[in-house]
Amino acid sequence: MTPSNTLDVAALPPYSISSKAPLWWGQILLCVIEGSMFCMLIAIYFYLRLGVDVWPPPGARTPGVATSSIALVPLLASALGSYWASEAAKKDDRRGMILGLALNLALACLFLLFRYLTWSGLNFNWASNAYGTIVWSILFLHTFDLVADLLFTLVLLVIVAAGRSGPKPRLGVHVDSVVWYFLVGIWLPLYAVLVWGPRVVGVSQ
Amino acid sequence: MSIRTRWQIQVVAETERSELYRTWSDGGGLFGWLSVTTHQAIGMRYIVTAFIFLLLGGVEALAMRLQLARPENGLLGPDRYNQIFTMHGTTMMFLFAVPVMEGMGVYLVPLMLGTRNVAFPRLNAFGYWMYLFGGLLLYISAFTGTAPAAGWFSYTPLSGPQYSPGKGVDVWAQMITFTEISAMCVATELIVTIFKLRAPRMSLNRIPMFCWGMLVQSFMVIFAMPAVMLASTVLLLNDRTIGTHFVNPAEGGDPLLYQHIFWFFGHPEVYIIFIPALGMVSAIVEAHSRRGVFGYPAMVLSLVANGFIAFGLWVHHMFATGLPQVAEAYFTAASMMIGITSAVQIFCWIATLWTGRLRLTAAMHFVFGFLFIFVLGGLTGIMLASIPFDLQVHDTFFVVAHFHYVLIGGALFPLFGGFHHWFPKFTGRMISEKAGKAAFWILFAGFNLTFFPMHILGLKGMTRRIYTYPADLQWGADNLLATIGAFIIAIGGIVFIANVLWSRKHGARADNDPWNAGTLEWAAASPPEKFNFAHIPVVGGRYPLWTPSEQQGLVVGMRNDRREVLVTSAMDAEPHHRLVLPRSSIWPLLTAIGLAIGLVGSIFAFSWYYLAAALGMIGFIGWFWPHKPVEVRP
Amino acid sequence: MKPRMAASLALGLAAFCSGCAVSYQSSVDPAGTQAEQIAVLWWFFLALLGAIFVLVMAFAVWPLFHRHRGVNPEALEERHEPSRETERKLGRVVGWASGITVLILLALIVISVITGRATAGSEPPRDHLAIEVTGSQWWWSVRYVNDDASRILTTANEIHVPVGRTVLIRGLSHDVIHSFWIPNLQGKRDLIPSRVTTEWFQASRPGRYRGQCAEFCGLQHAKMALWVIAEPSDRYDAWMENQLKPAAAPSTPDTQAGQQVFLSHACVFCHTIRGTSAAGQAGPDLTHLASRLTIAAGTLANTKGNLAGWITDPQSIKPGNHMATVPLRSEDLQPLVDYLESLQ
Repeated sequence: MTPSNTLDVAALPPYSISSKAPLWWGQILLCVIEGSMFCMLIAIYFYLRLGVDVWPPPGARTPGVATSSIALVPLLASALGSYWASEAAKKDDRRGMILGLALNLALACLFLLFRYLTWSGLNFNWASNAYGTIVWSILFLHTFDLVADLLFTLVLLVIVAAGRSGPKPRLGVHVDSVVWYFLVGIWLPLYAVLVWGPRVVGVSQ
Repeated sequence: MSIRTRWQIQVVAETERSELYRTWSDGGGLFGWLSVTTHQAIGMRYIVTAFIFLLLGGVEALAMRLQLARPENGLLGPDRYNQIFTMHGTTMMFLFAVPVMEGMGVYLVPLMLGTRNVAFPRLNAFGYWMYLFGGLLLYISAFTGTAPAAGWFSYTPLSGPQYSPGKGVDVWAQMITFTEISAMCVATELIVTIFKLRAPRMSLNRIPMFCWGMLVQSFMVIFAMPAVMLASTVLLLNDRTIGTHFVNPAEGGDPLLYQHIFWFFGHPEVYIIFIPALGMVSAIVEAHSRRGVFGYPAMVLSLVANGFIAFGLWVHHMFATGLPQVAEAYFTAASMMIGITSAVQIFCWIATLWTGRLRLTAAMHFVFGFLFIFVLGGLTGIMLASIPFDLQVHDTFFVVAHFHYVLIGGALFPLFGGFHHWFPKFTGRMISEKAGKAAFWILFAGFNLTFFPMHILGLKGMTRRIYTYPADLQWGADNLLATIGAFIIAIGGIVFIANVLWSRKHGARADNDPWNAGTLEWAAASPPEKFNFAHIPVVGGRYPLWTPSEQQGLVVGMRNDRREVLVTSAMDAEPHHRLVLPRSSIWPLLTAIGLAIGLVGSIFAFSWYYLAAALGMIGFIGWFWPHKPVEVRP
Repeated sequence: MKPRMAASLALGLAAFCSGCAVSYQSSVDPAGTQAEQIAVLWWFFLALLGAIFVLVMAFAVWPLFHRHRGVNPEALEERHEPSRETERKLGRVVGWASGITVLILLALIVISVITGRATAGSEPPRDHLAIEVTGSQWWWSVRYVNDDASRILTTANEIHVPVGRTVLIRGLSHDVIHSFWIPNLQGKRDLIPSRVTTEWFQASRPGRYRGQCAEFCGLQHAKMALWVIAEPSDRYDAWMENQLKPAAAPSTPDTQAGQQVFLSHACVFCHTIRGTSAAGQAGPDLTHLASRLTIAAGTLANTKGNLAGWITDPQSIKPGNHMATVPLRSEDLQPLVDYLESLQ
């Protein structure tokens, strides 16, 4: 080889469990995509609100303040479990990963229980009227994403617990926390819109 | 030959090279073909598939032109005509224009950045399969009697359950889910590739203009495509199938909501098509003027500004709905001011042409054609931004003329220029310059003959989307000219295809860099070996092949027995770690098949979404399942 | 190269000039105040932007004729970049060109907004004639609004207006989105279900002006046309007085038989003829059908032969339209047509 300028990268590791990993960046972008869908749903909520005189429609029960607000506690706490697992992944701490993921999953399931209570307390569905449509759409999309990620996290837990904890599963655990932070974080404005929106911008007859 | 850097000619030990060949080869047979994850193969699949859809869309256009050639013509009845113009628009916008640009990006970006593959090779494969399945969904449905007929944009309430019964619009809406998933996969992987996988020392201000184009376009896809998914799948399809009330005014919905969400996507969509083409123009102009493009920082800023401003224009598609005055003034202003971003680039290209040493290849012919046609279309766009005038020509053939000028001039001509320019790189042979120039002239003449009269037809009151017109409105002559022009375009297309097919077999063999160009793709072999470069380059300037070899370098120390690429920092491309990329995998195809089954079923019943999710999840688990631990010793 | 480009341009110009002739439905043949202002705007844009186009093309094409004249060719050969001096000069030129472009665009924005306010400001002039137009698949219901209920006129597919008076169009839709457009008079306005959109125009000379639906609305979007007839005030008043009268009673045995045919068939489910028992709302009002220029929303000239063909087989003329094919005995057709064509 003729040129004298060579850059020897043999000492560089063949993986990185950090925010410098391409997979981490890819996951961020997927969260941006999903986040823009949620932002548009919020915009649609207010667009529909501006198109009518009475909001919510008479007789519609808005999502319960108590169940929705209490539910925020396990939700935010589940993010801690995710953080614990993610940090353990960076340090190659198998026990920490398992405990963190398990905590994350347990609290997520508790949150889903509250979600079920809130949702089943509604007295309208997606076909009742435009208000019902947008409320159910927001709840459905968020729940769908939550359940999907929950299942993924479960698979990761099984893989790590079964003993395969090389760089790939570790990176998976680290990057999965990004999704979880996103799902927790995006729920906060959605919660505000669904629970407090009618009380702030609503008009009754 | 002082400038030709010696490091380009990578003299590499035979054992190294053959090890790289083995590592990067795809498996054989059908199974191997279905498991491919190398970017050149997938990029070429996108391009070829998109080209087939271009031909289908072209046939649809010829059918429309035949029907409109004479007043009161009886070739196509209203239902068939409405289906055909819907299929034409849908095919060109969703199945040709965006995928072909993505294909060019997927093929060229890793080569231009000095790396070996995109950051997510299996996602790349998955995205292609989703695109193919979406196109098959639409065309199989159309050929078996279920074609959409509400326009490529499917306005409600016409596209709603009451006025478009049957499954045609449902097929249209769900096809969009496929193509948008595909676009988002490519956008995600290109952004990460451009930021993280560049050759060392290729700082952001050294990346080729085409890569800037793909970067801006990819970000636009990230923000715009979710809107069309919402409009088509969440708003329209659900209103049609499960009784939601997004656009149903009787229960608090609003038909205009659909338009807002659709055009929030729809306007950026045309720039998503057009911005990669601008990158191609820069690449061609640079290579064939023998100098770097003038005003690189201004060019980059213009592209980025174009990307941003494009999101603030969408209401100009809705001027006729009656808007508050403040909104009217704002959207007029924004729609005109975006002209600045294109104008600056045009001025910079002209400056480059003036001070370069021009080589008038077939590719450059297409660049000049682009300048003529696109600038004309851009100027009619300025006219359309003016509301009083727009209210006269909106939804007439004047608009049809405008957007064909900017899309064909602004995207298709640069694309064809790109095909001629990169043909040696793709195939290893030179394309016939004579035939290329002939194809250009036929296409240029045919295009102008077809679409220029449409400006006049619009001013004379001919509205869009009409299957016939009466004789006494005197629209017949211009329509006939347009039809003749359309067939001339078809002849030009045939000449181009014949040229490609002939030159692939009989063209002169091309070496690495037949054009003496400056960017890294010309350092790889023609066609590139699957690993692109035996050693990742270390670059010393914006045009590595025009930089003296003392300022360049090579990366050593990477393993050749697995597919390794180098991950570098986002701004300055300092090496950070190596990344082991997967080899061939059948899981992207399996995942796509699972999702396709579920998504097609969801047209009939909502619960099939759950099946789609389940099958998709199984696919992703198989995809990511850790088989062998990555050997961590370097 | 040049001959072919010139040929394209010449062809285009020739086709273009044919558009300058007087024709129906042409926005460059204005007959109303607003359309005239818009046409002026159009010619101004064409002249200015056309000149800019020629200028930019001249600059773009110039290097083809002076090819080996890079400003500093020797710098180019070795380093693939011209000298710093050249780049600086180019920078100034491009900077000026961009600055001028910004100024031109700002001026065009201002001109557009001003013209927009003039042709479609937020409030119509006070003394206006209000007409409600409801778009349906694929015809136009027209209702002349009036405070005096006895002077509200309902008709279809043809609008008469007095020259020189502002006409306010209140647009509604019965089903999908349509668009009301009379190019000789004014820009278009969409008709959107569950909303009322408004625009106004003022005819400046008498004449017959054709318009057409300008928002794709389904199978017969192509054949949803209408006519606006602008007349001097006295002729308009006479027309209005006549239209307000109920239908003329049939005076001959033939037309009386025709009226019987009409009233005893399904026609009455969709059509109204004031002064009879027919009061259907789904289709156009036929009280003064014979006074109109066209039938089937501008599709056919209003003659007995065309009307007979339309009644016998509407689907062959406008396939997919919502008019039912009412089976008639062959001896009923002629009296029916005679009756309908007596409804002046």
